[in-house]
Amino acid sequence: MAKANKKATDKEMRKSKKVILNAQQKQAVSSFTAGLSAAILLIALISLVVFIMIKGTAYFWPANVFKVTTISATSPSDTGQVFVKSSVDQAEFISALENRLETQFSGNKASMPEFEVEQPTKVYQINLLNGDEKLGVFSRLHTQSGQYEDIQRLAKIKAEVNLLQADLRSIQDEQLTVLHRKIANLDQKNVEQGAPARLHELELFDYWQSRADELSSQIEQYSIEFTDAMGNPFRVAVKNTDTLFLPNQLSLGDKFAYSASKIFAFVSESPKQASTSGGVFPALFGTVLMVLIMAIIVAPFGAMAAIYLHEYAPNNKLTSIIRICVSNMAGVPSVVYGVFGLGFFVYFLGGSIDSIFFSEALPSPTFGTPGLFWAALTMALLTLPVVIVSTEEGLRRVPEGLRAGSYALGATKIETILKTVLPIASPGIMTGVILAVARAAGEVAPLILVGAVKFAPSLPVDSDFPFLHLERQFMHLGVFIYDGAFHNQTNTQGSSMMFASCMLLLLIVFVLNLFAIIVRKRLRDRFLRL
Amino acid sequence: MKRNIELNTHISGKFNQELENLTNSVLTMGGEVEQQLISTISAIRENNASEAEKVLLNDAKINSMEVQIDDECMRIIAKRNPTASDLRLIMTVYRATTDIERIGDEICRIAKLVTKDKLPPSDLVQSGMLMIAEKVVVMMRGTFDALARQDEKSAVAVYEQDNSIDKKHKELLKQTAKEMSGATDDLQTWFDVLWAIRSLERIGDRCKNLCEYVLFLTYGKDVRHSSMKKTLKKLLK
Amino acid sequence: MLKLFEKETLALESLSDEQTALDVKNLSVRLNDSLVLDNISMRIPKNKITAMIGQSGCGKSTLLSSFNRMNELHQHYAYSGEVIMDGRNIYSKKENVAKLRTQVGMVFQRPNPFPMSIYENVCFGLRIQGQSERRELDEIVEQSLRHAALWDEVKDRLFESALLLSGGQQQRLVIARALALKPEVLLLDEPTSALDPLTTLHIEELVSQLKHNCTVIIVTHNMQQAARVSDYSAFLHQGQLIEYSDSDSLFTMPEKKQTEDYITGRYG
Repeated sequence: MAKANKKATDKEMRKSKKVILNAQQKQAVSSFTAGLSAAILLIALISLVVFIMIKGTAYFWPANVFKVTTISATSPSDTGQVFVKSSVDQAEFISALENRLETQFSGNKASMPEFEVEQPTKVYQINLLNGDEKLGVFSRLHTQSGQYEDIQRLAKIKAEVNLLQADLRSIQDEQLTVLHRKIANLDQKNVEQGAPARLHELELFDYWQSRADELSSQIEQYSIEFTDAMGNPFRVAVKNTDTLFLPNQLSLGDKFAYSASKIFAFVSESPKQASTSGGVFPALFGTVLMVLIMAIIVAPFGAMAAIYLHEYAPNNKLTSIIRICVSNMAGVPSVVYGVFGLGFFVYFLGGSIDSIFFSEALPSPTFGTPGLFWAALTMALLTLPVVIVSTEEGLRRVPEGLRAGSYALGATKIETILKTVLPIASPGIMTGVILAVARAAGEVAPLILVGAVKFAPSLPVDSDFPFLHLERQFMHLGVFIYDGAFHNQTNTQGSSMMFASCMLLLLIVFVLNLFAIIVRKRLRDRFLRL
Repeated sequence: MKRNIELNTHISGKFNQELENLTNSVLTMGGEVEQQLISTISAIRENNASEAEKVLLNDAKINSMEVQIDDECMRIIAKRNPTASDLRLIMTVYRATTDIERIGDEICRIAKLVTKDKLPPSDLVQSGMLMIAEKVVVMMRGTFDALARQDEKSAVAVYEQDNSIDKKHKELLKQTAKEMSGATDDLQTWFDVLWAIRSLERIGDRCKNLCEYVLFLTYGKDVRHSSMKKTLKKLLK
Repeated sequence: MLKLFEKETLALESLSDEQTALDVKNLSVRLNDSLVLDNISMRIPKNKITAMIGQSGCGKSTLLSSFNRMNELHQHYAYSGEVIMDGRNIYSKKENVAKLRTQVGMVFQRPNPFPMSIYENVCFGLRIQGQSERRELDEIVEQSLRHAALWDEVKDRLFESALLLSGGQQQRLVIARALALKPEVLLLDEPTSALDPLTTLHIEELVSQLKHNCTVIIVTHNMQQAARVSDYSAFLHQGQLIEYSDSDSLFTMPEKKQTEDYITGRYG
């Protein structure tokens, strides 16, 4: 009887064990799920960064060139040969091409063209000065004095062309421009058409003009002839070529050197070919300048607001409502700030400024149009909550003992804040400003509305007084990516440059955040024992 | 194990000073008592009643010193929470003052022989008494020296002196008993003389106590009521 | 009769006005509507060390901070009564509180040096007072650090961060910082409670030296400390001044039973 009872209880216990987890198991399950979600998050982050990095660096790395020969059984017009650039190796390229064709012909193998892929060694990549690039096999050099089969002469020929171009430029700058001005002067003085002075000048002008024409026609005669994949010849003028090289014959060192020069060009040149090649310097410059002006505006305002809230505001309902409002401001969609900036800053404030200070220039607006200053102001407004919150956090970290110590030495409240509280809260303020800067560097939507443009003809800083032109429109990296990459995507090359820009933006934000962390850590270490 | 006690190394300068004052005051008190004994001896030798009277009056000073030193000990214990060697020093001082004050009382009893004109009728006894008294003075001086220098070696040496005093004391008692049996009419005087002789011997014993305190102070071991030889062997190893 | 030991303490009842640093008259303080100090009257003698002892919450810290009006930093604070210093009531409307706090220095429980150099820490109060002449500052810094027994330890690194100092050095630096203003009264609010015993002894020794320069009032939880350093002691209980006398008598024969119970550890 007793045995049976025991068995029954055993069974029950086993049953209950099955259903209910013990404490250890609960812990294991919870830690596993938590770890899993953290891992997923980490993977997502890493893949984002890695994806952008791979795509971005591919832009700088010289690509392989493949010659694809297609033979279509069904339509002879599809048969042909073409040079294709790709950053992958031959096997990978072939499989990618197969995949593409399969999807294109939706598995209809009968109509699928056959193709052959080879990696020709003699194909040149020609980078043109206007940012375009061409692929072709070298056939001959054309010069004024004849044709050459030897590509080694190119350097010499290029030097000749350069000399001619220098001549041409000097004629244009030193003679033609001067003469033109003189003639214009005579025009202004109403000198008769047939006056000897005028005739003399015209004669000279004609002479130099003909020299210039002659030179330019000479320069035109220097060209390089290539043949494309089909064997059709095409010519490239020497004066238009920037560099040319054999991409399939580059050694690793050459590739690195090429990448380095391309990276340098990327950050120092203006965009070419409708933002598909060239560099992003104006966008980078505009971003940095806008962010700098924004930081100058937002840092004192944010810090003062936070000081008021934390040090002076009475501890009542109104203050807590203000605090809630500030943190809610951080959650307002950024495009709303853009609309506000456009409506209030640009049209209202800018319009008022124009009507008061620049009324002579009306109706063409000076400040009443989207520009650098309004963009900076809008971004300052947008990032104000970040600065306020982190400054308050910094103020909260200041130990009461230090305030008391300061008061006990005869300091008044303002002296205490300025001399003891603020220095200790400075890591908080710094962190806030840097986070704000990182945010503004990556923002797009409001900037489109208040001053960032796809292409700005001039930088906001130049040698004309007052050197810094706050009313000018400017370029911004985020806007550049948004606009350039996904609005005028004409070829895959262009989007690849946008990945490079993305990487740059990511790098800037990452460096800024890293900087914020380092600054915070260093300052905290300084005040470690508090 | 002997530890050197240095008074002047406390962080608190005031505490240093207080302890120094305390030991100095005990030595002052000892010097005072020593002076009392010397005065008493000369009073007996010259039968000088006025000097003996002075000794009796001076005893009040010694009593007051005892009270003051005890007060100071209590104050220091209350305020400074002395520990280890400081505590032993204060305990030593506290006990020593009691003994020294008692020595003062014994000296008064001897001095009263002169004031009450009860000097021993026998020259032999008197010279024996003076001889013991001189020995006691030497011993007392040695004791206070040992206390001042906290020198356990001289304390032991002084401790050993008591044996010879005890021997002389016994001899003197025999001599006195012999004399007493011949002079039964003056028994009252003889009893006082006996008390005085006993007092001298007691002073020796008190000095022995003080030497024990010195050992207690330097070694941190209470050597009272134990065989001195064994203890010394253990201590001086 | 021969006096073996000299006593330095004066009888509190017969203090003249010149011998008084602070004269507290019927001082009552309320914080958050509870009575923290209840009608306290006491005269604190000049150039002496006065200790305040009592349980936590008995009001001793509040009493201390009412001498430099630090209590006013509380939001709900009310007081009545007066504190006379140099013949003037420090609670009068005319009193400049910032000035008062330079005359009545204060040192807190935890060392709170400012995160700047040692030199700048000591100069802090002086600079606020508008003193900026380098020679004068140098002199005062050295003097203050010497008074705080810190000079020899830091003279070679005056321009290093004060936060690199040890706890005891920091506390002495804070004392030096207060001394730089040449205060008449120095308030110490449990200055050693965050320090180890040996450092505590060093600070106590420093405090006992300080009385040559100013009047010291020290609040302490440590009764032994009060006994060691103070000339006078006040025992407070639930906002009332129970006993106030010279430390020798308070710690050997207190008059009130409450005091006796507290200092012998028989309390409650």
